[in-house]
Amino acid sequence: MTGRFRIAKGWRDMKTIAYLTLDTLFWSKKTIFVVFISLVVLGMAVLGRLVLSYNWIRAPFTPAQVFSTLMSTAVIHFMVVFVTLFYGTALISEEVEGKTLTYLFLRPIPKPAIMVGKYLALVWTSVLLVLPTVVFSYLILYLRDDLRPFWEDAGVLGKDIGIVFLALLAYGAFFSLLGAWLKHPILAGLIYAFGWEGIVSYLPGFTRKLTVTHYIQSIFPHENAPASLAMLFGERTQAPEAVSTLLLMTALFLAAACLVLREKEYVLEQ
Amino acid sequence: MTRILEAKGVSKWYGQVIAVNKVSFSVGPGVTGLLGPNGAGKSTLMKLITGQLRPSQGELTLWGERIWNNYPLFYRMGFCPEQDSFYDRMTGAEFVAALLRLHGFSETEVNQRTDSALQQVNLVEARDKKIGAYSKGMRQRIKLAQAVAHDPELLVLDEPLAGMDPVARKETIRFIRILGKEGKCVIVSSHILHEIEAMTSNILLIHNGQVLAEGDVHDIRDLIDKHPHHIYIRCSEPRRAAELLVAFPDVVSIRFHPESNALTLESRNPDEFYSRLPGLLLRHEIALEEITSPDDNLQAVFHYLVK
Amino acid sequence: MPIYDLSYRQWSGVWTSHPYRWWVITRQGINILGRKRRFLVLMILSALPFLVRCVMLYLSTVLGRIPLLTINAKFFEDFLSQQMFFVFIIAIYAGAGLIANDLKANALQIYFSKPITRRDYVMGKLGVLFFFLALPTLVPGMLLFFLAVLFKSDASFLEQNYWVPASVLGYSLLIIATYSVVMLAVSSLSKSSRFAGIVFAALFFFSRIFYQILSVVLRSTRVAWVSLGNNLTQIGDYLFQVSPQYQSPLWLSAMVLGLLMLGSVWLLHHRVQAVEVVK
Repeated sequence: MTGRFRIAKGWRDMKTIAYLTLDTLFWSKKTIFVVFISLVVLGMAVLGRLVLSYNWIRAPFTPAQVFSTLMSTAVIHFMVVFVTLFYGTALISEEVEGKTLTYLFLRPIPKPAIMVGKYLALVWTSVLLVLPTVVFSYLILYLRDDLRPFWEDAGVLGKDIGIVFLALLAYGAFFSLLGAWLKHPILAGLIYAFGWEGIVSYLPGFTRKLTVTHYIQSIFPHENAPASLAMLFGERTQAPEAVSTLLLMTALFLAAACLVLREKEYVLEQ
Repeated sequence: MTRILEAKGVSKWYGQVIAVNKVSFSVGPGVTGLLGPNGAGKSTLMKLITGQLRPSQGELTLWGERIWNNYPLFYRMGFCPEQDSFYDRMTGAEFVAALLRLHGFSETEVNQRTDSALQQVNLVEARDKKIGAYSKGMRQRIKLAQAVAHDPELLVLDEPLAGMDPVARKETIRFIRILGKEGKCVIVSSHILHEIEAMTSNILLIHNGQVLAEGDVHDIRDLIDKHPHHIYIRCSEPRRAAELLVAFPDVVSIRFHPESNALTLESRNPDEFYSRLPGLLLRHEIALEEITSPDDNLQAVFHYLVK
Repeated sequence: MPIYDLSYRQWSGVWTSHPYRWWVITRQGINILGRKRRFLVLMILSALPFLVRCVMLYLSTVLGRIPLLTINAKFFEDFLSQQMFFVFIIAIYAGAGLIANDLKANALQIYFSKPITRRDYVMGKLGVLFFFLALPTLVPGMLLFFLAVLFKSDASFLEQNYWVPASVLGYSLLIIATYSVVMLAVSSLSKSSRFAGIVFAALFFFSRIFYQILSVVLRSTRVAWVSLGNNLTQIGDYLFQVSPQYQSPLWLSAMVLGLLMLGSVWLLHHRVQAVEVVK
């Protein structure tokens, strides 16, 4: 088998696995739940817009403030983490629980191609579910008679989309690894995302850099968001370094997931 | 014999538990029945053969190549798993086609092969029905369809007849025999002796994770026949029947069951015993109500072999 | 005897009726979880804050009045609030699969072919959660108070805080009941314990985040009642006679938790059935 043929076959295998996974991943109860959460986030954007438009409260604030709060609190620290935790841990463990992994493992496809194919499906599904929430929230908050803020902050929206995409990649790879590796990936994922990341962000020194969230916060474009509070206690990582670290983390987690899938014996209980 | 599968001192243990204990055997073309009671280690052996598990010790090869993490072997192998699990949202045809795509066939070929596989297992009419709505027998057959759809040289079938009705069972047995006659290597597991006997005479007996016997079922039966064979007879006059039967040299013991008008005897030559019994009873006008052999089951076969 | 007479026959003997049938299910659940090494490690970890509090009690007795080591009602409330992290993790570990796994294995049919009612079944499963959630809350809470009384050389502490055990009991039971009933209801929603675990976690986290955003948008803590955790804190503050952290009214918090539990019971009533009727 020539190298070129191998690459072509590998890509085709991954695509086939991705299509197969998309079908089972997207059309599930999980998606209904995530769509519900997206709608609630959009509902909050609508509420913010109403408060802005009708001056319900005395202390004035701008669309940018509401948008940055939504982004940092609801999207980055909740939606991204939950969607990737939900779908990422399901990639392999759902096949193990459903005892369907046999059908994939007994095909002429290398196991890493199965992992990467499934990961591609995860990225596609999560992008489809999270990014529209970001864009629609922005539209809801900014679309008004005076379009100047809309155009002024469009760059921030672009950055947010990029950050959310990077976050989906990194968290997705990490939770895929947990799903392939552990028997109870959900608990481990929750402890990591809401325990470890929460605590370590406030710790001094290098420990803060042992989280995904540190690099996301480092490139987060909203200065007044609650998440930036953590930054008071430590330095931000420079943007190029943060982006490349996130990409490197993604590659490492994914490679580790492939290795686990290749070497682990999955005993499907009768 | 061309050796397709070869095991040399293969063991597999889960923690402290040994599932397969130093087994060595080889399998060639045709149907081979893997026979053993529940918990004997059949499924673990099947998983080792299909590369789902890695041997803890020993060497297991297919066409001379190791199996674990050797994905190109799966171009030549099909597997029908024991577990009743599917992507339930898919239809039968979608399921077979999706798995065929993973072999790299073109879309036209995928469609052709899907049709052909569904035809082979008599599921053409139910092809567009969701698998979730299939009966147990249909689910067994769709598993078989995905295993044969890519026309593999080696087929590994784990309890393929479980849950099938008698008609489907007969059809599947016929189908497996045809595959064997076509020169394919078929390894089929079961814990029911007569099911295996209906498919093949070539068996591999496994018990407590060890291979007890390997080869032609008739040879194994001959081996068993060297031991006294139990025969249970219920008739109108058991004591008179005993008096007549005890005269034959192959009969080594007789035990009475007065409560049920029956006796159990042990014969060293069951074939001869069965051939002369009807004439003897007719001549002496003893009405035969029931004759069974408690040894004519798998457990007894194992009992003899373990002894 | 005709063959059909050999088939299933109704029990014609005397039915032994007793109100503790649910205990069989609880006992079995406790035994199964108790044998899991990882779960035991988690339970041991959940006892560490108790040990820290014991040391604090000791130091406050030895060193006298130090601002950070004041032993009053808030000391006990803080302990129980801290334990909510473990309560959350234990509820997911022990509870996510309690009904979901039975649904997956079609085990409800087997349960209900025995002389138990749906109420017995739910009570039995709730018993498992109550037991394991009481271990990091109610039991150490009470022990802590007992130790605090023992460490003091006079009766002044007991005279001032005689009502605290009732608060510990009330707050612990509230926490245990909320987490148990909601977790069990969520577990009945799916055949996947993973799904149940994540939905339960999302309920708690999302309601908190919902509150955070609303509080920014509306510049007020009056909307604290939208968060499940905040409602527990509000009632906890009341029970321990501490000034409330949020401006939302106490009755609203109580009502939200009450409705949540009623909704959970309704869900359990509808989801726990021997046979699922697919329309």
